[in-house]
Amino acid sequence: MSDLKTTSLYEFHLSKDSKMIDFAGWSMPFSYDGTLKEHNYVRKSAGYFDVSHMGRLRLSYSQIEEINYLICSELRDIENTKALYSIFLSESGTAIDDVIFWKFEDDLILICNASNTVKIKNHLDANFITYDDLTNKTDLIAVQGKNAISIVEEMMPIPDKFSTSKNSIYTYARTGYTGEDGVEVMLNQKDTLEFIQQLEDKGVMPCGLGSRDTLRLEASLPLYGFELTDDISPVEAGLKWTLTNKSDYMGKKIIDEQIDTKNHKYLKRFKLNAKQIARTGTVCNSGNVSGTVTSGNISPILGHPIGFVLFETNPPDNLLEFDIRGNLVEGNLLDKRFLN
Amino acid sequence: MSETKYLETHEWYIVDGDKFTVGISDYAQGELGDIVFVTLPEVGQEFSKGDAIVEVEATKTVAEAYAPMNCVITEVNTNLETEPELINNDPVGDGWMVKAEIKEMDDSGMTYQQYESFIS
Repeated sequence: MSDLKTTSLYEFHLSKDSKMIDFAGWSMPFSYDGTLKEHNYVRKSAGYFDVSHMGRLRLSYSQIEEINYLICSELRDIENTKALYSIFLSESGTAIDDVIFWKFEDDLILICNASNTVKIKNHLDANFITYDDLTNKTDLIAVQGKNAISIVEEMMPIPDKFSTSKNSIYTYARTGYTGEDGVEVMLNQKDTLEFIQQLEDKGVMPCGLGSRDTLRLEASLPLYGFELTDDISPVEAGLKWTLTNKSDYMGKKIIDEQIDTKNHKYLKRFKLNAKQIARTGTVCNSGNVSGTVTSGNISPILGHPIGFVLFETNPPDNLLEFDIRGNLVEGNLLDKRFLN
Repeated sequence: MSETKYLETHEWYIVDGDKFTVGISDYAQGELGDIVFVTLPEVGQEFSKGDAIVEVEATKTVAEAYAPMNCVITEVNTNLETEPELINNDPVGDGWMVKAEIKEMDDSGMTYQQYESFIS
């Protein structure tokens, strides 16, 4: 336990009887009221998440050209008030991390996965990009949900979707990881408890990483370490829409080859026609092509199990057969997102 | 009816004459998180002590409940098919899983006090 890192809200989480888990070396809240309840707070009203374990690096604007070379998306051409989801690629086109950039007039905030903060810092160092690591100086709170914007707009001006803003207390963007509207807010640790108290006074409920995972899965969003890894490219993960970079970038040669030859892995969405959950590592078949589940859980909104499955080649059949602990369970590939 | 006893694998059981009722402990349901699906055995199925009798799917993980002694299933809690959350809400009451006829009595489970110190 003693080796685990904690956010500034650790004592606060314990005071709320949160169930804590070890996540990427951090002791983080898994749930407060239960994952399904918290899932529904976000889908039906609003919830907040302590995501201060995620890496936060401030980069000077002057390095934008060098940063743009390391990601598959175009960071230079978007307005200085935009947020951008992108992926750092290796020379072989695979994902080092998927990240969010918050673009401002004077600087850029890079938000990376907690499990990859060290890797991203090393990668930036190796490419002579300097940064100020804000992870331990600030907190990051995600406020998400159907009613999140109408609640938060009493506390701060709301930017357009996928846009950023800042004032003397909050640096934030209208982004999230749940499929609902909302904001992600970075603030100094001395201000966090007061911010959360205001949210709670307005009925926003605390949510843990358990519901963050069921929400992101239901919203068809990838999680690094599962749908994206050091061995999976954005083309393979079905994230071709992120390939907006107009110049040469690291890994571009392999990415272009994959698009051209279509000879690569394929990540697909599936649903099951039974109640058993096909969890990470479950093997399935589409005709004679076999795949492995990267993430799977119940969809609380749809009421049946869903997930992502990675195939070595393009699966020939939409009908799938899963081997769930020795039982054969049928499922289907889905072209559309789980939720509309 | 005798005292409710607990197993190291986090089931509770209670013996009543030549039958017992089994479920999972409050601690176990808390560790599993929200239970979303339960696979129950068939009435008449025979199990040996330690066999998996029930499979519990939760948002966090999947787990099995094991037979506390050799037995034949006489009744299953069919309410769990539509309301698996009964196990979360009332694990040692409405969230019971199966009743069974004892084939070989083995009342060696822990008392609640012993179980409490086992899990702490």
